[in-house]
Amino acid sequence: MSKRLVYLFGIAGHPELSPAMRAVEAAGWEIIVPSVPGFDGLPGFEPRDEYLDWLTTFWDSIDATGATPCPVVGASVGGMIAAELAALRPEIVTGVAVMAPFGIADGDDPGFNIYGTPAAERMGHLFAKGVPDAFANRFAHLGAEEAPVASYLSDVASANILWPLGDRGTRKRLHRITAPRLTLWGDLDEVNPVCNADAWGGAQVVAGAGHLLEWDAPNQVATALLAFLNSLA
Amino acid sequence: MSQRVVDFSSRAWNNRQMKMMWFHLMPYPNLPDDFNEKHRSVWVDIDPALFEREVMAETYDTYIDQLVYAEDCGFDGICVNEHHNNGYGLMPSPNLIAAILANRTSQAAITVLGNSVALYNPPIRVAEEFAMLDLFSRGRLIAGFPVGTAMDTTHSYSINPGTLRPRYYEGIELIMKAWQATEPFAFNGRFNQQRHVNPVPRPWQKPHPPVWIPGGGSIETWDFCAANDFVYGALTYYGYKMVRETVSGYWNRVEAHGRDDNPHRLAVTQFIGVADTDAEAYKLYREPAEYFFNRSLHVYPGFTDAPGYVTEASVRARYKSQVRQVARIKQAKHDLTWDEMVDNGYVVIGSPDTVREQLEEAAKELRIGHLCAMLQFGNMSDELTRFNTNLFGEKVAPALKTLFSEYDDPWWPQNAR
Repeated sequence: MSKRLVYLFGIAGHPELSPAMRAVEAAGWEIIVPSVPGFDGLPGFEPRDEYLDWLTTFWDSIDATGATPCPVVGASVGGMIAAELAALRPEIVTGVAVMAPFGIADGDDPGFNIYGTPAAERMGHLFAKGVPDAFANRFAHLGAEEAPVASYLSDVASANILWPLGDRGTRKRLHRITAPRLTLWGDLDEVNPVCNADAWGGAQVVAGAGHLLEWDAPNQVATALLAFLNSLA
Repeated sequence: MSQRVVDFSSRAWNNRQMKMMWFHLMPYPNLPDDFNEKHRSVWVDIDPALFEREVMAETYDTYIDQLVYAEDCGFDGICVNEHHNNGYGLMPSPNLIAAILANRTSQAAITVLGNSVALYNPPIRVAEEFAMLDLFSRGRLIAGFPVGTAMDTTHSYSINPGTLRPRYYEGIELIMKAWQATEPFAFNGRFNQQRHVNPVPRPWQKPHPPVWIPGGGSIETWDFCAANDFVYGALTYYGYKMVRETVSGYWNRVEAHGRDDNPHRLAVTQFIGVADTDAEAYKLYREPAEYFFNRSLHVYPGFTDAPGYVTEASVRARYKSQVRQVARIKQAKHDLTWDEMVDNGYVVIGSPDTVREQLEEAAKELRIGHLCAMLQFGNMSDELTRFNTNLFGEKVAPALKTLFSEYDDPWWPQNAR
């Protein structure tokens, strides 16, 4: 089995590989990151009408890489999409690792409303240990006037997938996942509380990590991911 | 409650004049003095324990009576609007209020500004209810279709911000087609599919009631109004001085679409306080204005937008417009002094002559064919509201009504005064 995986990034887009994923890469894994419309902040993005349209968009982006069948690692929004992929197209997913995936809103705690807070404050709620420079400056290269527009458009994409900021019905499809699965969750996740992990059949809880745990706890996450990925081989 | 009997068949109003509309927000009048300190927002997640049912019930009665009284004072139209989870706008269903008004009045335009179309599923419900209101009032309805604020639509009703506007446009398309269709039809849109579109009843007015689009300043809304020949309603809480930029942008788009500059294409809201003298007005309207601007507008900034609610074009305009940035900063402070409110024109106050002069200047400069006067605001008492309304109707409105007599108003209901 070749050491190649598809990585689906999270709610704040993909400025660069996280420290955890760089560690996976350093261990010999080729990481394929599909280009998904909207998250790049480029002008002209059109929000999708419904969830099925987003699944189709991701399917097209993943298929365009030619990387599957292979393991799929997904974080946050990407975790939800990875689970949907494993449930609905099991023939192309040999293993699925999800980190704080959205898709199931269980219990009484809806989590922190990331889109009901001023844009400038949102990033701070995704991390437990401060906002990494990669995210703080994610569109700075576009200049002072264009950067906030790109940032807004990137948020449009993730909000368009997640709205109405509740359950997306993923639970109804979990039973279709036949590939081996790893679920990781930060115990300090504000926007997608760790209580939601129960509906996923439990998770390895990473202490001291927020929603984008691969940035907050790179060593623990990389260790868990590599153990899982290597077990697939 | 008595039903007025009017012979509508012989009515022929002269609509060539500036229209005076009486606009009610219906604010909750008893927000506590320490509201801002103890609560983060008047909108979306406001504490429901603040609302006492007895006060609410009495407030509805009082406010509805005030709207009826406005007709008695000669106002051409009475206006209601739609807000959700809101402490300064107690009308989640303006159509319920409008139904009462249609029954209790006989001359004023029943102006619903309006129904946020994307919130209705299916939106044909709006076509049905507006048609009923038009029949109740024998052709006095103005049909307003706002996009709705982010607080109302995306945060309170959880409509996806990325698809709100296309849903809204499609809903209006469906309603307009349904009102004018002579036989049932099938509708297959992006968001709405309906096998048998055939609303009963159809409106009294043919081909349909006049359509007004309340907006907050988005470029798309200006173009939508100009392209479809709808009235644009600049619904601002910050008065005619602050709305200049918005109105100027609108008129530029009207011209770009090859439309004429008929002032009746525009409606503007304005808080107004009239008294016998300037000094008396300064004294009388301070408390309700401070209540409104410093308590009712205490909205958590996180709720004022949602990613996708504003289009890419408007986002670019936002970040490039220093004027608007300054305005937003000023509005966000929420610690306005009474003098700031007056000096900046948020509230036009004074003697009848003083108020008339300011409003005449504003009407001519901005070309306002329909003035939506907000003569009740904040916790203003019923007594002061009626005093304000009566004085405006008696001593301010007559002079203003002589403006724009050279322009016909095709956006006025067929049977309103």
